[in-house]
Amino acid sequence: MRRTKTSLPLEGLKVIEIAQGIAGPHCGRLLAAFGAEVIKIEPPRGDWSRIVGPFLQDDENIESSATYQYNNSGKKSVVLDIATSKGMTAFKELVSTSDILLEDWDLSDRELLQISNNSFTDSNSSLIEISLTPFGLSGPYSKFTSTPIIQLALGGYLYLTGLPEKEPLMLPGHQPDYLTGLNGNGAVQIALWERDQTGKGQFVEIAMMETLATLHQFTMEMETYEGYVRNRNGNLWQRESAFSNYGITTIECSDGHLCFGISTEDQWERLCVMIGKSEFLEDPQYATRAKRRNNATYLDSLLKEWVGARTREEVMVEASEIWGLPTAPVLGVSEVLEDPQFRHRGLFVEIEHPVTGKTTFPSFSFKTQDMIPVLNRAPLLGEHNKEVLI
Amino acid sequence: MDTAKKPNGSLSGLRVLDLTRVWAGPLATRIYGDYGAEVIKISDPRVPLVTENGLNSKLNRNKKNIGLRLDKSEGRNIFLELTSISDVVIENFRPRVMRNLDLTYEILIQTNPHLIMCSMPGFGLEGPYAEYPAFGTTAEALAGIPGLTGYDSSLPISSGMAYGDPVSGLNAVGILLTALRQRNITGKGQFVDIALAASPACNLGEFFGASSSNGYKPEINGNKSIQYCPHGAYKTKGDDEWIAVSVIDETAWCALVDVIGDTDLKSEKYLLLGNRKKDESFIDGRLSAWFESQESSDAMIQLQNSGVSAGIVSNNRQLLSDPHLNERGFFVDMDEPRFGVKRYDGQSILGNFVDKSNWTTTRDVGESSKEILVELLGYTNADCKKLEQEETVLFQ
Repeated sequence: MRRTKTSLPLEGLKVIEIAQGIAGPHCGRLLAAFGAEVIKIEPPRGDWSRIVGPFLQDDENIESSATYQYNNSGKKSVVLDIATSKGMTAFKELVSTSDILLEDWDLSDRELLQISNNSFTDSNSSLIEISLTPFGLSGPYSKFTSTPIIQLALGGYLYLTGLPEKEPLMLPGHQPDYLTGLNGNGAVQIALWERDQTGKGQFVEIAMMETLATLHQFTMEMETYEGYVRNRNGNLWQRESAFSNYGITTIECSDGHLCFGISTEDQWERLCVMIGKSEFLEDPQYATRAKRRNNATYLDSLLKEWVGARTREEVMVEASEIWGLPTAPVLGVSEVLEDPQFRHRGLFVEIEHPVTGKTTFPSFSFKTQDMIPVLNRAPLLGEHNKEVLI
Repeated sequence: MDTAKKPNGSLSGLRVLDLTRVWAGPLATRIYGDYGAEVIKISDPRVPLVTENGLNSKLNRNKKNIGLRLDKSEGRNIFLELTSISDVVIENFRPRVMRNLDLTYEILIQTNPHLIMCSMPGFGLEGPYAEYPAFGTTAEALAGIPGLTGYDSSLPISSGMAYGDPVSGLNAVGILLTALRQRNITGKGQFVDIALAASPACNLGEFFGASSSNGYKPEINGNKSIQYCPHGAYKTKGDDEWIAVSVIDETAWCALVDVIGDTDLKSEKYLLLGNRKKDESFIDGRLSAWFESQESSDAMIQLQNSGVSAGIVSNNRQLLSDPHLNERGFFVDMDEPRFGVKRYDGQSILGNFVDKSNWTTTRDVGESSKEILVELLGYTNADCKKLEQEETVLFQ
């Protein structure tokens, strides 16, 4: 993505980002891409994501973390130690002239730093402060610590991934943090909408655990409406309940796995015809979704037979174009980078960095017609100290 | 955060026409509705919205509903009239559906040049897969999620969450409000296209960066982590009950060993991550043996109080009765006309959303048809009668 001359919607907004890691920075990355000036405040040792792998090139140093570079595109880096009174004074001064503060102080941090929920919004009434913490600022878990697997566990995700009877599985990387960062961006935009009419900022609290708990399609409703525990089912869908279904499954092809997402009745009918089993449409054994799901092993074997020795792409093209069935190849990391659909969309962009050279990162999942986000490189630690502090 | 809450919510004054179905779109517009936007859901009169499984009831609270046949010319006209007085139109059909209805963005901006329109197809509006059908689970497969999830490399495993949907829904919430802000600067609306399959990929940025830079090839390896050890889910007492544990440094390691009181693990060499990684299956065996006789909640509290990151692996029942979520007032109990009081997840963004006591349950197809036609568009009762007889609009 190139620089453009047209103005961007967040131009003129000053953002102070003291949140570290992934959640706050991922939110800040969006704000920077749409024109906000994002000043990232890092402790002397740097944001903790600077020492989290994977790393770029073969060097493991504080400028080569892929996680840091991806989430800090286009920001300014300023080193300030707010544990010192001098550092805190400089920080408060920066916040007093800013529009948005992204922070991740949990209750323990707040006690240590002597910061209350209204410390900053009281002295700058137009400030929007977004608090992004694992568990929020009240309640029995508010001093708990966590990593992604703990968040997935308590947010109800972990239990649902993996094979029945086996250890529940975590999703890759830092999914709870990314989801919370996206939720944080929603919060910023909502608060800006209000501020544009009232002139007033606000303090907005977001907990990762609650973010995940709102991102379930029907997990809790299986209990509250039908009295079922929702289980993990490997690559299949529910065994019981109204969400019982066959056709969400994964089948091996000659060059890897292909995911099927057959979810509606008309898709089920076309699936039967596709695999040459039109008779199933009349067969009482397949009359209900639960019955089909109970025959999943057999149905998988029929689907596997139909797939034969073909590649993922061959099967996807036939299933999609002729039968109108949702499928997609299960891609590895390097394959996603080469996928023709993502290439056509321009999902990935190359960003040049003085220490690590050229790296390809995702841009955004949306395409906008009239405001083209700008993705510049992440800053070196303290690169903008002089520019910002003097 | 509850003090001085605006009764109408931060987004009062925003009007959204919601053509979305299933999950991604309704999730996005639910957040708008909770925050006081006037969300008008357009439903097909032939398809009931409120069903016995609670799915749509969970996602469509705080929205008005008109039952409208877009494939009839009078129905299409009503939609265009609504478009002319709305800020946002959002849909998640396959690309051809809006084309076939002759309701593309190019048509809609003729009635409202300030309109923000959002389409959320599986793979995007253009490109080789554009017309292919998609589902949240196939979307996440293309994005690389199951390719990194599983017990070993022989079998990639899906999230089980149709993960393309929630990530796309959250993306929509932010980007449409950003587009509205742009509108206030330029005076013009715009079109936004969100690909369900692209959203999860943007939550894996570091994997793609490293792969492009040095050929980084992560293996599917259960819950193992390259930076933390031990790290995983361990079976505890009870039916399919588990606890997740993540030891992030030496201090946490020592605390864990103290809690479980295992002298074999007290060895000096295990202070180093590298040595723990080397003996990871031995360590996991010792932990499993200890956790087997523990209650998961008690173990979580004991470990957390000692400085070890741990969490019970909550199923839906545990989530609903979680003491932290309950004490924070996270849930909302809504009195559903057909089902009685049902508990749902509330808001995770704790700003000025509409007070929960003023939230409305999901309105079924056509419940707001009259209000919308008469109050917003100035139709007469006679007009409504005619539309009902022609089966263009469903009134309920």
